[in-house]
Amino acid sequence: MQSFSRTQYLLLFIALTAAIATGLAIFTSVSATITMVQMATSGLVLPLILALIVTFVLDPAVKFIERETISRTLSIFLVYALITLVLFIAVTWLFPPWRHMWASLEYDLPRYTAGFFTFIRDLEAGLQQRLPFLSAYDLTAMIRPMAEGIVAEILVQTPRSALRIGSLLILVPLFSFFFLRDGDRIMRALISLVPNRYFEMAHDLSFLVSRQMSTFIRGRIIEALIIGLVVTIGLSFTDIRYAPLLGAFAGVMNLIPYIGPLIGMVPGILIALIDLGVGPQFWWIVTVYILIAQVIVDNFILIPILISRVSNLHPLIVILAIIMGGRLYGVLGMIIGVPVASIIKIALLEIGQYRRAFSLPDSISEPERPG
Amino acid sequence: MNPLWSNIFRKKSEEDSLAYFLKTVPLFSDLKGRDFHYLESLVHTRHYDAGEIVFEEGDPGSGMYVIRNGGVKIFTRSEKREEELAILGAGDFFGETTLTAPASRAASARTLESTELIGLFRADLLELAQKYPATANRILLGVTRIVSERLQAAGQEIRRLRQAQDAAIASSSFDTEM
Repeated sequence: MQSFSRTQYLLLFIALTAAIATGLAIFTSVSATITMVQMATSGLVLPLILALIVTFVLDPAVKFIERETISRTLSIFLVYALITLVLFIAVTWLFPPWRHMWASLEYDLPRYTAGFFTFIRDLEAGLQQRLPFLSAYDLTAMIRPMAEGIVAEILVQTPRSALRIGSLLILVPLFSFFFLRDGDRIMRALISLVPNRYFEMAHDLSFLVSRQMSTFIRGRIIEALIIGLVVTIGLSFTDIRYAPLLGAFAGVMNLIPYIGPLIGMVPGILIALIDLGVGPQFWWIVTVYILIAQVIVDNFILIPILISRVSNLHPLIVILAIIMGGRLYGVLGMIIGVPVASIIKIALLEIGQYRRAFSLPDSISEPERPG
Repeated sequence: MNPLWSNIFRKKSEEDSLAYFLKTVPLFSDLKGRDFHYLESLVHTRHYDAGEIVFEEGDPGSGMYVIRNGGVKIFTRSEKREEELAILGAGDFFGETTLTAPASRAASARTLESTELIGLFRADLLELAQKYPATANRILLGVTRIVSERLQAAGQEIRRLRQAQDAAIASSSFDTEM
């Protein structure tokens, strides 16, 4: 005990206090910086991801137009002008029926939920007749608040998400314009930061990964477009209303594997059930959704042509990606979550394949190719 | 003129000289004036310290390097001993066989002094082939010409060695018969 004098204790105390104070100061400043960065980038990740996807989709078109006499900027403007023209024609052509459709949908939506409830109640009555012990459960009372909540949410969220989509409509074309124009230069600048020893590998890998990604993204977008078109055409043979809307919904939902197609066909089958009843038209709609769109067109024709099975994700990862995407960015996040997960998987696979391809002992081919 | 303004408006003499340097490389002798403009934006300029490894034997090869200034030693390792294959100087290039066909590097390369290398890689060449096919064509013709010349030289060397070997075997068997 003699070895520690009072001054030494005091010094130790001061040193410890100083250390704790410094630690706290560093912690608060770091967390403050992180929250600042989070706040600054909060609304940006989604438009950036969307802009990257748009870039990958439009890049072939821009490259197609670009020549020695047509600069890249000019060709991007040409592609943009073409898209604007197509959208304008589509809107002027489709807007009157669409607006009518939207107005009647606002009126019809509660009707459909009411029809859904009577369907549930009939089901419940039938079940209780056959299985009397179920009478203790009030199925309708359980489902009604849930479904009403969902419908109210949709009606409330639509204008709000329209506002958000409006800001996306400005930001995404702007970002993708710069990605299209300077994407190569941005990638070059990023890769040039890699140390000399790994530079060549990083350069080669970035090329391979971006090539895989662009084929994947293009494939998914084209797949969704074709599925939407097939469903729209298939449904328009029947008397069902909102065929284009249902087709677009099915197409967008098709971006989510496993679960998406199921969710995509729910509103169509529901509306068919309520408006048309169970009959030949209803079975035709079910056939369109399941057999024609999903089995024949998607599984037999589109997926083998457009998308390699390599990018298939484990169902668990799909569910995790949907939940995490939904947590971060709502409904759009749910749709984007799975493709983003696939892109990450493709990148990892490509890196693994690259390493494997070149770590093989190829003693036969080596002497023939002196570097 | 004010030195500040002259500094701002000065033409980038570095890039001018990069195109000028590329013109002196025999690989690009088929290229015309405008092609060098594309080529300039295509290549990567990398600075190496003395004794830095550019690539190791067995690394995935994806392109070639031109030495702008400095020196590079090409060598193979056999049982931890370095066997020197070549010493290259400014204006020389190496690794051109992996430019078109992906393959592992057959030898290692290390800088001898502070060196500036200009890298031209397959990925960039493929991009160029889509955008400006004529320019890519001229670059590829140059590469093919150089590779064919080396292949012919190698073939002649093999024939010469084989003849020498045959002669040696003949003389040794003649010796044993004696």
